[in-house]
Amino acid sequence: MFESSIDRIPDVFMKVPLVNFVLLATMLFVIGIVGVLIRKNAIIIFMSIELMLNAVNMLLIAFSSYKSDPNGQIFVFFIMAVAAAEVAVGLAIIVMIFRNIKTIDISILNKLRG
Amino acid sequence: MNKGLPQDYLPLLIQFSLALGFVVMTIFASTYLGPRLRSKRKEDPFECGIESQGDARLPMSVKYFLIAILFVLFDVEIIFMYPWAVNFKKLGWFGFTEMLMFVGFLMAGFYYIIKKGVLNWDED
Amino acid sequence: MYPIIVFSVSGLLMLFLGLSVNKKSLLPYNLLFMLVGLASNFLDWNAPGLYFNGMLEISNPIILVQWVLIFAAILVSGISSRQFDDTHAYPAEYYAIMQFALVGALIMVSFQNLLMLFVGLEILSVGLYVLTGSDKRNLRGNEAAIKYFLMGSFATGIFLFGVAMFYGATGSFDISSGNSVANNLLEGKMFFWLGMVFIFIGLLFKISAAPFHFWTADVYQGAPTVFSAFMATIVKTAVIFALFRLAAYSFNLEYENWSKFLVIIIGLSMVIGNVTAVFQTNFKRVLAFSSISQAGFMLLSLIGLGAQSYGNLGFYSLSYALATISAFGVFLVISSNTIVEGRPSENINVFDGLFSRNPDLAIILLISMLSLAGIPLTSGFWSKFFVLNDAAAKGYFWILILGVLMSAVSLYYYFNPIRASFKKTDLGKIEISSLSKYTLYVCAALTILFGIAPNILRSLF
Repeated sequence: MFESSIDRIPDVFMKVPLVNFVLLATMLFVIGIVGVLIRKNAIIIFMSIELMLNAVNMLLIAFSSYKSDPNGQIFVFFIMAVAAAEVAVGLAIIVMIFRNIKTIDISILNKLRG
Repeated sequence: MNKGLPQDYLPLLIQFSLALGFVVMTIFASTYLGPRLRSKRKEDPFECGIESQGDARLPMSVKYFLIAILFVLFDVEIIFMYPWAVNFKKLGWFGFTEMLMFVGFLMAGFYYIIKKGVLNWDED
Repeated sequence: MYPIIVFSVSGLLMLFLGLSVNKKSLLPYNLLFMLVGLASNFLDWNAPGLYFNGMLEISNPIILVQWVLIFAAILVSGISSRQFDDTHAYPAEYYAIMQFALVGALIMVSFQNLLMLFVGLEILSVGLYVLTGSDKRNLRGNEAAIKYFLMGSFATGIFLFGVAMFYGATGSFDISSGNSVANNLLEGKMFFWLGMVFIFIGLLFKISAAPFHFWTADVYQGAPTVFSAFMATIVKTAVIFALFRLAAYSFNLEYENWSKFLVIIIGLSMVIGNVTAVFQTNFKRVLAFSSISQAGFMLLSLIGLGAQSYGNLGFYSLSYALATISAFGVFLVISSNTIVEGRPSENINVFDGLFSRNPDLAIILLISMLSLAGIPLTSGFWSKFFVLNDAAAKGYFWILILGVLMSAVSLYYYFNPIRASFKKTDLGKIEISSLSKYTLYVCAALTILFGIAPNILRSLF
């Protein structure tokens, strides 16, 4: 579908080895995971999740360029659109909680116990 | 072919540092060169009128938040029009009808939002 | 393919109907739309092939699973009658979101491309985040919503990382391309393995298998009961079939590698789910932990990957959905009649004296609990029998023994509500709306029918 435009991308990109992209994306992804696991503020956890998604986006684009295959970039479009929908729902949930308890620190949410 | 060597990016670096330098220079120049009066009155956010009180970070009405969320949603959907626009000629009428359907679904959502009264500023 | 289109449009129609039609008449519309979707699935019958540029696969077994999903959604709508009558409920939106979520679930059982799996998974999950928090003033619901949302998007992130690695190894998102790297160099193979592990972990989060189960009980407890039932049946069925497609088409050449880890996860799910459920006093939490152990049993059919296992999994999903929906349905009726401290009581003692208050409900509860525990003459027995049989055929005998042992443990907590329902009580009769009554009758009747003659359903697959 994108033959004419994608042919020119790789020889610029090839100067940077693929493994660098993979390492960078993995690092960003791990930072995101650690953020989700150790932070208490709902917004910060949320940002960490977005960081994970963006690390994945970068990984997909790097692979897409190296393989001269546009499918990866289309996938990134979908991830971005879906992430926007998730942001909308997530922020709505956080606002709903903030209205009820006036804080977004998730450690005080411990009503649900066996 | 020596395209893409590190030194080829030197002009880019120069332009970048020039841009940064200009911004930093103007900020400093306007602070130190310009005439300046210092007093309590002068430092207030509003020079005349009633004295300012409280924090600048007031809780915002949830209406702004709703508008912002809706903007983000509709804004991001535009992303799907880029691949279509690039291949507009090749996809022809097929692509056009598909995109019409996509926009139709978006518009249905938009119509629902209007009907639900989310965009009404005057109410309550 | 057609139900996907039907539900996308009918969901929108539902939203607009909510603006003009009064609340009580929305449920019939919802049932009508779902029946139309169920019927439209006939159009695809005997027309196997790839649709939408090779993005979705349609074949008769897949259509059967889609029927299971839509049927479960109809049953969940059936038990929801009279639940959304108060002023703060928005039934039009709930039903619309249920239909949209169903679209996601339908895509997830028929995808041919990982892009479709991702889109389906997100349509399903984002809808459910909203439904979980739909009771806005209930603090428990809020907490459940944020927990579900954060854990769900975390799992999505992990799943996507796996998809990216899969793409890096194969250069394609088509699920059949997984086999192309079988004889690849080590580097490509490493990406492939990483992708496989992350995709599995992401989806196991969603199905709440054991090491990734910690959110389940809180979310099931906090969510409105109708939507807990929706989550327990439709989400689980959709995700397990997505996993099955991946295991059968993309990762089947790596069977030796992943089956060893998966069998450990299954063992953990059974042990943790069943043992923790014994100590619960809240009935929704009991069902949550029971769903964890049922997820373990469902995953057994991935271990016993063979010609019959798709049908076995379909049978398991349907019988589990019937039993779970009737359990939730009975509980819903009783708990909304037992108000403690201004809220419907969720404690297991709401069942006290149920038999004298409403004998029909007590018998339906009895059937559903027996089916969940896997007692013969209910469909739950055969479903467990089939999947354990599959796993044993592949040589995993210890999981067979563990499964039987854990079923014995589960008898204890499944019998608690039954014992409570035969206690003496002086409480009055329980009224029940006719729609939910007939829904529960259908569930119980089918559970018994498939328990006596399992081959009626199984021969279809």
